[in-house]
Amino acid sequence: MSGEEYESDMEYSDDDCCYEDYYNNEEDYDAEQLDPSKTDPEYFVYECLTVEEVERLLNESVEILSNTLQITPSLAKVLLHAHEWAIQDIIFKYRGDSCRLLVLSKIKPPHPPEPAASGHLRYQVCPVYCWAMHFEVQISQGISTGIGCMAQECEVLAPEDFVLTLLSRPSTRDRYQQFAFRDFVKSHPQLRFCPGPNCQVIIRAKEPRAKRAVCSVCRTIFCFRCGTDYHAPTDCATIKKWLTKCADDSETANYISAHTKDCPRCHICIEKNGGCNHMQCYNCKHDFCWMCLGDWKSHGSEYYECSRYKENPNIAHESVHAQAREALKKYLHYYERWENHSKSLKLEEQTLQKIKTRINRKVMNASGTWIDWQYLLDAAALLAKCRYTLQYTYPYAYYMEPGPRKELFEYQQAQLEAEIENLSWKIERAETTDRGDLENQMDIAEKRRTTLLKDFLEV
Amino acid sequence: MAATRRLQKELADIRTSGMKSFRDIQVDESNILTWQGLIVPDNPPYNKGAFRIEINFPAEYPFKPPKINFKTKIYHPNIDEKGQVCLPIISAENWKPATKTDQVIQALVALVNDPEPEHPLRADLAEEYLKDRKKFVKNAEEFTKKHSEKRPSD
Repeated sequence: MSGEEYESDMEYSDDDCCYEDYYNNEEDYDAEQLDPSKTDPEYFVYECLTVEEVERLLNESVEILSNTLQITPSLAKVLLHAHEWAIQDIIFKYRGDSCRLLVLSKIKPPHPPEPAASGHLRYQVCPVYCWAMHFEVQISQGISTGIGCMAQECEVLAPEDFVLTLLSRPSTRDRYQQFAFRDFVKSHPQLRFCPGPNCQVIIRAKEPRAKRAVCSVCRTIFCFRCGTDYHAPTDCATIKKWLTKCADDSETANYISAHTKDCPRCHICIEKNGGCNHMQCYNCKHDFCWMCLGDWKSHGSEYYECSRYKENPNIAHESVHAQAREALKKYLHYYERWENHSKSLKLEEQTLQKIKTRINRKVMNASGTWIDWQYLLDAAALLAKCRYTLQYTYPYAYYMEPGPRKELFEYQQAQLEAEIENLSWKIERAETTDRGDLENQMDIAEKRRTTLLKDFLEV
Repeated sequence: MAATRRLQKELADIRTSGMKSFRDIQVDESNILTWQGLIVPDNPPYNKGAFRIEINFPAEYPFKPPKINFKTKIYHPNIDEKGQVCLPIISAENWKPATKTDQVIQALVALVNDPEPEHPLRADLAEEYLKDRKKFVKNAEEFTKKHSEKRPSD
């Protein structure tokens, strides 16, 4: 205790120049962590862009490609969209076998038909108003970059300039351009829409990794790779599995599991709205079997292999029940903790309000200045951050195989939990005189959190 | 408007072509968007009868696909009890405005003649079709005799 008091006395002596104190802390921090990419497991470089900035970015790519290959910008867009905006790759393939590339990108038909503008078989046969109507119906269904030729066997896509010259209504043109922009961002490996409600921000990162991104406008924190709530140390697939499992009780989840599945290729959620088990994904056009999620191509005669699976339980019912009970017990163990930390996070938001009132009261009573008390808000923010990570360690542990690694994980998890509870306790009872002690506790908790992430966060 | 003109032409073409497997086409003068007709299959067990279908064209035809419904009950892996049929050529994702109704009907007739148990609407019938073809044919024949319409004489 005497040491801590000494420390807090030291702090006091700096009190009249608290900004310096703040900067000193910063320096300390820098000295310890020279290269955050090596020391901080959550280090992630990204930028938050506006729609205009992204449009500029995409247009730069379009311009480079169209200049290099001497093609129209709208064909360059089709190529970039089809090849995830990998310019060098496209140029390389174009120089290798341009014809093959154009066929694969659905710009040219595989077999040259009668001469027709931009490879559209029916362009000369169908009147212009037919094309315009075709485009309008497709756009009204949310389709833009995917609008195809009207001919039965033709897979060629309608390039942007062709569509735009035929659309007369400005509102339809706007919608087309909005949808196309959305498709372009979605096909771009470096770009993600901010998942915040009504937020227009687009996040850009060099690598699509499962790291924490914070929107600069709406402050939404999300995983850059899967776009859901940030979930370290758990990975994207595991957290999805866990959240679905947790929601299992609700009617919605029952409906989702009974009537929807994710496309095995692009992972978009698909609702089954007909009886046919041959599914075609509306998003990526992948053909697959609803029963086994396998590729449809392999379903000549094997279809019944996938429906039979459920009907052949080879374990005695007795042991199945026992296993189910055991599984449920295990699940509840993790779920209760997960749920509990989630509730604690919410409760601590109320605590933050209480802290603010208490700071006001203390300052009114001349017990420290308003600035003296600001550290408490930092402490509350750090507590929330640590508790958040702790909450997300439970799904990770649930899916871990038993063994020494799990033991290590659960040991570190327990350490983190203990320090978090300490911190929470201290924050709720803080006085200015405890500042040193509290900052010490903050440091310990954050170190535990970083250590756990360093050892187990694999992205 | 575009729908009406195209459908009138398609209807005239189909009537003059004299399709053997799709006949007795009835279209209400006031509403060309709904057609009825008889599917007359060639392959057993469906060659003992004829099956009435209804084709409904949307107002946006040909930019949106028509819908097909069986009005006659049929014992078929790809056609359910409500008369719905799973025909890829007229699914929203696959639809092409240049596809003609006679192509759609040909695809439908081919499906009736040769069931595709790989993507069934009625899994029970598909299983029977694959596992016990004799039983399937027997059931389908009896069902056809009982429920189907009379085949045109010529």
